[in-house]
Amino acid sequence: MVRGVPTSRFFANIAADDQKRIRLAVAGILAGAEVFSKDYRLVKGDGTMRWVHASGKAILSQDDLPLKFIGDLVDITEQKRVQEQLRIAQSAGAIGTFEHARGFGTVTVSEQFCRLLGLHPTRILPVATVNQLVHPADRPIIEPILPEQPRPDSNIEFRITRADTGEHRWLTRRGEYVRDLSGPGLRYIGVAYDITASKLNEERLKRLNEGLSESVKERTRDRDRIWQNSRDMLAVTDQHGRILDANPAWPAILGIEFSDLVGRGMSELAWPDDAELVRGNFVDTLREGSAAFESRIKHAEGTPRWVSWTASRESETIYLYGRHVTREKEQESALREAEAQLRQSQKMEAVGQLTGGIAHDFNNMLTGIMGALDIIKRRLASGRLEGVERFMDAATASAQRAAGLTHRLLAFSRRQPLDRKPVDVRQLILDMRELLDRSLGEQVELRVQPSPDCWAAVTDANQLENALLNLAINARDAMPDGGQLSIETHNIALVAGEMPGLIIQGKQDFVAITVRDTGVGMSAEVLEKVFEPFFTTKPIGQGTGLGLSMVYGFTQQSGGGVDIKSKPAQGTAITLYLPRSPAESQIDVRRGSPVPQGAGESVLVVEDDSSVRLLVVEVLRDLGYSAIEAVNADLAIEKLRQNDHFDLMISDVGLPGMNGRQLAEVARDIHPGLKVLFITGYAANAINKNEFLADGMDMISKPFDLEQLARKIREMLAVVMNTAVIVPDS
Amino acid sequence: MTGVNISLDELERDALTEVVNIGVSRAASSLRKMVGRQVLLSVPSVEIVTQAAAAALIGQRESEDLVAVKQEFEGAFSGRALLIFPETKSRELARAVMGDEASAEQVSELESEALAETGNVILNNCLGTMANMLKQSLKMSLPEIIRGTGERLFSETGEPDEGALVLFLYINFSVQDRNIRGYIAMLMDLPSMAALKVLIADFIDRVTEDV
Repeated sequence: MVRGVPTSRFFANIAADDQKRIRLAVAGILAGAEVFSKDYRLVKGDGTMRWVHASGKAILSQDDLPLKFIGDLVDITEQKRVQEQLRIAQSAGAIGTFEHARGFGTVTVSEQFCRLLGLHPTRILPVATVNQLVHPADRPIIEPILPEQPRPDSNIEFRITRADTGEHRWLTRRGEYVRDLSGPGLRYIGVAYDITASKLNEERLKRLNEGLSESVKERTRDRDRIWQNSRDMLAVTDQHGRILDANPAWPAILGIEFSDLVGRGMSELAWPDDAELVRGNFVDTLREGSAAFESRIKHAEGTPRWVSWTASRESETIYLYGRHVTREKEQESALREAEAQLRQSQKMEAVGQLTGGIAHDFNNMLTGIMGALDIIKRRLASGRLEGVERFMDAATASAQRAAGLTHRLLAFSRRQPLDRKPVDVRQLILDMRELLDRSLGEQVELRVQPSPDCWAAVTDANQLENALLNLAINARDAMPDGGQLSIETHNIALVAGEMPGLIIQGKQDFVAITVRDTGVGMSAEVLEKVFEPFFTTKPIGQGTGLGLSMVYGFTQQSGGGVDIKSKPAQGTAITLYLPRSPAESQIDVRRGSPVPQGAGESVLVVEDDSSVRLLVVEVLRDLGYSAIEAVNADLAIEKLRQNDHFDLMISDVGLPGMNGRQLAEVARDIHPGLKVLFITGYAANAINKNEFLADGMDMISKPFDLEQLARKIREMLAVVMNTAVIVPDS
Repeated sequence: MTGVNISLDELERDALTEVVNIGVSRAASSLRKMVGRQVLLSVPSVEIVTQAAAAALIGQRESEDLVAVKQEFEGAFSGRALLIFPETKSRELARAVMGDEASAEQVSELESEALAETGNVILNNCLGTMANMLKQSLKMSLPEIIRGTGERLFSETGEPDEGALVLFLYINFSVQDRNIRGYIAMLMDLPSMAALKVLIADFIDRVTEDV
């Protein structure tokens, strides 16, 4: 462009602001400066301005004097704009640029590049200076070896230590290897920018991830540990109960190798009796999602192990949790056994207490009987008969007391057949007055006040007497310093539920007999237990603990009940409720009349106990009966066959071989309509007389006095049996 | 360094840069002749900085020890001129100057002498040209070799005050295919700066008159 024109022409179009600058540069070239490289504005004819870049070189002579100046002028208006944009882009984006030509130890950089590295802003930097700041482990900013062919370079991240502050930053660079515009080699043009913030975020994210995966690992480890260390059996099975995985507790508990467990079905491992149960529970688990059950599993030794299972399903997989409970099971059964043993020993202790008490009472009574008999025997031997009756009465009293005790025992065990009849309660109580007076002693004031309109009750008169006597003696014992004992009666109609323990259909009439004392009374705790068998407040050996429980048993058996009211220091009132008799006052005839005599009627006595047999036969003969005896059923049948007629057969119920009732059947085959009187001491099958006895049969309980026996026989023989007439064979 | 170089306006800086450019060009030309290779020059940097900052400018860029050829100059303006190389490059320079046929022993033996001579040629050329441009003459001391860190090179001069402002001119140059690079630095104190400012103004007047 500039050729052969005056220099004034060269300067003419240069914008005024740039004039001096360019003149200086031209002067420099003329003075020997080598490089001319200036940007300046040219004003065009129409007044518009263009930016141009002028570059050139002075051609020097041998003595370094400038000969001529060759240069180019390029319109860079567009370039300027782009440069400006680039500059703004670079400073706004904090992007530094650099350019490195092969073979040079320096690199051309932008100011922003210097700022990134914390270097003094400049255009040229030594390669070493730049690379020096890079972390030794990272790729250098300026690669020492350039490739042979132009190519884009990948993104390189590296750490630097800022030259000014020593701060560590992350930078990244990317660029391209391009053909050097001015030389033969390649040139690397690149940009660099700070990525510390994103790198830190990345680091943080990575650490967070690592922490996360670490905590996942930690948790997995925890779970592994639980799986490994659990003493409970953990397993994963498929939906058919086939074991997919099992923890070490399985081999430990079942003695089966792990390899033998996997693939086995749970019902296969189960104890054969439990296989169906296990299968059923797996079906439940599949259907319901979970199940809990106990089953036995086979140990390798072939013995069962109890396991308490919890199974839960997740889609097709079942998670199984089993607690080995064999020991607990064993302990449980051992506990049950121990409890049973304890109960047994408690029972034995109670029996011991009972037998001790009974033995004590019996010994007293036996002493009375044996002593009296001994004295009588000696008096008889010496012929001194006066006053013997006193001893005989004493012996009889003792024996009766013994009989009373056995009655109580039987009543307690409810083996006592009740002879329920309408009883005139008022008369019975009045008759007891004398007995009670004797029993209670002088310190107790007795008031017997049955109401005059007292109904008759359906009960066993003997048992009622016993019960009242028992209550009176208890009352006496509750008043060691004396007091008042009253027995009174009243009629009462009760409805269902009015009295606990009393079964009433609708509304029912009862005769209430109350025995009241002014004694020490009982606490609520004692009151709770008074009806329990063997419960006694008396010292061992002095009471059987059967009194109140016997009373309770008796009233229950009578279809009545008993009520007790007591408070410490306020006395006790016990009321017996006995059902009213529908048949008014058919008073039991007892005692007083002379003993009825027989008139030679033939009686067969079947009794295995020789002394009882002897007594009964003797009494019958004394009373004027013809008595034939037999020891057992076989002999009795023989006698029955030998004789054409018997008026009565008296038989023990409990005979060896054929029992009394069976014998009666056979006897009636031989002698139809034969009257039979059973004697029973302990007749389990005779509790309910009506079921046991057929027509023309009756029963008398041991021990009985001979007068009772005589009356019973007379009673029976007095009744005319229709059967005898009807049966043709008779 | 913005805000510090208030004493030179933009045109004056341009002019000074041009003067230095001319000087360095001559010096580079001498170097080119000596090593027989292309020598690349940067645009001269002209800054007014503290002595410490000037030391840091070089020190910051060069971690290894440096070797410098120093010459004092005196005249209308006074100061020091330094030709600085990284120590490892100085051997290369000596070899380049002495020619490839020189043996390693010879290079080792004569390194300091070769460097001093090279520095003398380059610095004399550079300063001489500059003085000539400014119609002045300068008296140059004998070249002296200094070794050490950037800081040491600059404090060696015995300036009492490190915080004192100095005019710091530097150009970096590199020699193609020889892995040689270095700096040419000039330091002047404030009185010299004031004198230089006047001389620069004269220079501007002179060259901007219509030729």
